[in-house]
Amino acid sequence: MKYLENVRTNTGFSVLARWCSFCLIVGSLQFSPALADTPYEDLLADEENGADWLSYSGGYQSHRFSPLNQINSANIDQLKVLWAYQMQPTSISGAGLQETTAVVADEVMYLTESPSSVTALDVRSGNLLWHWSPDLSNEVLNIGFPRINRGVAVLNDKVYVATLDARLFALDAGTGAVRWETQVAENSLGFSLTLAPLALDGKIIVGVSGAEAGVRAFVDAYDAETGEQLWRTFTVPAPGEPGSDTWQGDDWQTGGGSTWLTGSFDPELDLLYWTTGNPAPDWNGDLRPGDNLFTCSVLALDPDTGEMRWHFQYTPHDTHDWDANQIPVLIDAEFEGQQRKLLALANRNAFYYLLDRETGEFLLGEEYSYQTWAEGIDDNGRPIVIPNSEPSREGNLVWPSLQGATNWFSPSYNPQTEQFFVANRRMGAIYFKADAEYQPGQPFLGGGEQALDGDQASGAVIALDAMTSEQQWEFELLTPPWSGVMATAGGLVFGSSNEGQFFALDAASGNPVWNFNTGSHIRTNPMGFAVDGNQRVVIIGGQTLFVFGLE
Amino acid sequence: MPIKSTLRRFSPVKTVIHAGVLALLLCAPIPVFAQAMEGGEQLFQTHCARCHGILGEGGEGPSLKRPQLNHAADDTALLTVITGGIPGTGMPGSWMLSAADAQQLVTYVRALGELPDEPMPGDPAAGEIVYDAAGNCASCHILNGIGEGIGPQLNGVGARRNAEYLRRSVTSPEVEQPKVVDRFRGTLNAFLTVRIVSEYGSYEGMRVNEDAFTVQMRDLAGDFYSFEKAELISYDKAFGHSFMPGYASVLSETQIDDVVSYLMTLRD
Ligand code: HEC
Ligand code: HEC
Repeated sequence: MKYLENVRTNTGFSVLARWCSFCLIVGSLQFSPALADTPYEDLLADEENGADWLSYSGGYQSHRFSPLNQINSANIDQLKVLWAYQMQPTSISGAGLQETTAVVADEVMYLTESPSSVTALDVRSGNLLWHWSPDLSNEVLNIGFPRINRGVAVLNDKVYVATLDARLFALDAGTGAVRWETQVAENSLGFSLTLAPLALDGKIIVGVSGAEAGVRAFVDAYDAETGEQLWRTFTVPAPGEPGSDTWQGDDWQTGGGSTWLTGSFDPELDLLYWTTGNPAPDWNGDLRPGDNLFTCSVLALDPDTGEMRWHFQYTPHDTHDWDANQIPVLIDAEFEGQQRKLLALANRNAFYYLLDRETGEFLLGEEYSYQTWAEGIDDNGRPIVIPNSEPSREGNLVWPSLQGATNWFSPSYNPQTEQFFVANRRMGAIYFKADAEYQPGQPFLGGGEQALDGDQASGAVIALDAMTSEQQWEFELLTPPWSGVMATAGGLVFGSSNEGQFFALDAASGNPVWNFNTGSHIRTNPMGFAVDGNQRVVIIGGQTLFVFGLE
Repeated sequence: MPIKSTLRRFSPVKTVIHAGVLALLLCAPIPVFAQAMEGGEQLFQTHCARCHGILGEGGEGPSLKRPQLNHAADDTALLTVITGGIPGTGMPGSWMLSAADAQQLVTYVRALGELPDEPMPGDPAAGEIVYDAAGNCASCHILNGIGEGIGPQLNGVGARRNAEYLRRSVTSPEVEQPKVVDRFRGTLNAFLTVRIVSEYGSYEGMRVNEDAFTVQMRDLAGDFYSFEKAELISYDKAFGHSFMPGYASVLSETQIDDVVSYLMTLRD
């Protein structure tokens, strides 16, 4: 579906969608593609298609860039709320933090609500089309993170959601009815799923949380039609497997390496890029000597077999919980005079990295935020660690804090200007080391931190030259942010704050050109779409999703 | 650029700042109790002290140096409070604790409750007179509904703070500045002195709120102001400054002992 061409009523959509689901069930009638369809071809074109936003990061390259330019600094003062949606109440205790990125396919918005529900809305009116909740128990384990969910995947006529109790569901896109479900892993061991799944051609890819409970994590692929498991690739090798020499004894069995954030995909190279988190236990590295591969890494996987083509470890033997679960951004550009296929990542450990995404070759590693743990990155991409920067029994002050110089919330890349935008946390922490003993389904941490927060910390949105990491500007925030950014072809960068403002910055200067107080903390990423040729921008503040447009 | 409206002066309201939430910054040396409780103490300092004070004397969370706890009649209930938190309040569940660590904390919190009350350095009745007369404390503090709300309300301050803290508050107030703890923003100074110069003049007062774009301030007359940061000529945060006078040179040693003792009696 193309921008400006798409004028269709919702009535038409829903009737046809139901009709076509019916066709699928009886399996006899021939029918042209259903309107509730998001074929793989559309996902391939997601990046250029401004009307839809079909996957978590707005395309396989994960640019989180809206190619729409209707809203720009000349008219943004007319931007207003067109409709809002209030999240449904839930009886699950501790739920209610909203970190979802909505997707928009064929004029329907699909979002998740904490803890693991899915909602479909009409993008014109904001009216509810359907809402689905899994039968979650209050006793569900989520060890090391709150009861959140980051969104759905859409493919063909289904919507896919991963749940806190480690299940994967395929829902009928037209009605929310369950097509299939599968248990990805044992929640009682601390496995949990909070990420937006990634839909490839006929496959759904998911990863798991659980390193704070000492799980051995993996990336999984499921058949999109049946839910059958296609492959599983562990992020911590068993004895004898490549990388197993970076572990001792049985440490690998509880080694962590969670895969809790959506990855990226290069259809031409046919490589799937997935990031991994901390080794377990988090803060006591004495209990797991070695580099602890493939934790705190990015993995390049064959999407058909799960086979690992290459890996790059950002933080060997991490002791600060600096997961590498940030968005791997795929960039095609000229680096040092040579056209290259790159993978850019602004790491929680305060360094910005460029890799060759065909081979995994390390190209660049530069500090982008204040840190006190490494003198720099050597020619092989390995950090030159400053002695005594690990957690200690008495506590050791190190920058950044365990939540890192950035975190899961998305960066944005503008391919037109080669700018890389990051929501940056500027905060130190006193890291403690403690004993830890593995018990199934129990926290396995070995320490903790006391963050220097509030008035002792701050945040910013920063613009980097994606090819050099040189900082072009910064827009300072009062406190370290927990929400991502989205750049647009209109020369804007949208971002948000803990204080509740949703704002737009001029991408060239970093100057604020617009802001709106949502009235509550913001902990999600902006996204954008268009309806009837009109650009929309979306954010969630507190329990409310806001849709903005010029008219 | 749509950043409009400059200084807006609210109609003078002598509102009390809801000082309720006050927390102690972690800078005190780590005490060692004689009991064999190092494990619990270490855990308490890592996970609890930022809200309940390094000595359990209270901060954002209540003092735990009380033999009876409202939400924790027995040890099972206390364990539930520690691991699960108290829903709907600022007391978070400590997911990061192993079962053994949580049990150590139960023992430690109970031991805090057994600690004897701190001895009073002076005479609380005499201290009340100092509070009302020589100290003129009510010109800035509301206590039991009486006084002006420049500084924090002092109801219950004796339960929230220990004697050492109260003494420092009276003699060197700039050292102990109450914090407001926000779940999403962290620990912010609740009475931060700010100095602001705009094209309309110079302003000095205490920050009430702030974000990336604006700052709200209250001056000593109790008037609120709201500023767009982008329009200011200068904006300074005077960390370590207090509008409360240091009383070391105003009151005698005895008067200070007495007023500290009086503050210690303010337990609810
Ligand atoms: C983020 C701040 C915060 C942290 C961290 C915190 N608490 Fe609390 N705690 C509170 C607050 C606020 C309350 C009061 C809740 C209410 O309104 O009843 C409270 C209440 C309690 C109570 C109940 C007191 C009563 O009278 O019933 C206990 C016991 C307690 N906390 C123990 C702990 C322990 C032990 C830890 C560390 C494992 C801890 N808290 C960590 C903020 C905190
Ligand atoms: C000119 C106004 C002013 C006067 C007079 C004043 N205070 Fe204060 N007081 C403040 C302010 C403002 C604070 C907040 C912290 C700061 O700025 O240091 C404060 C803080 C305190 C605190 C710390 C409260 C906490 O929970 O951390 C105590 C205790 C206190 N004052 C007691 C007194 C007593 C006792 C007197 C009289 C002897 C007094 N104050 C006189 C303004 C005043």
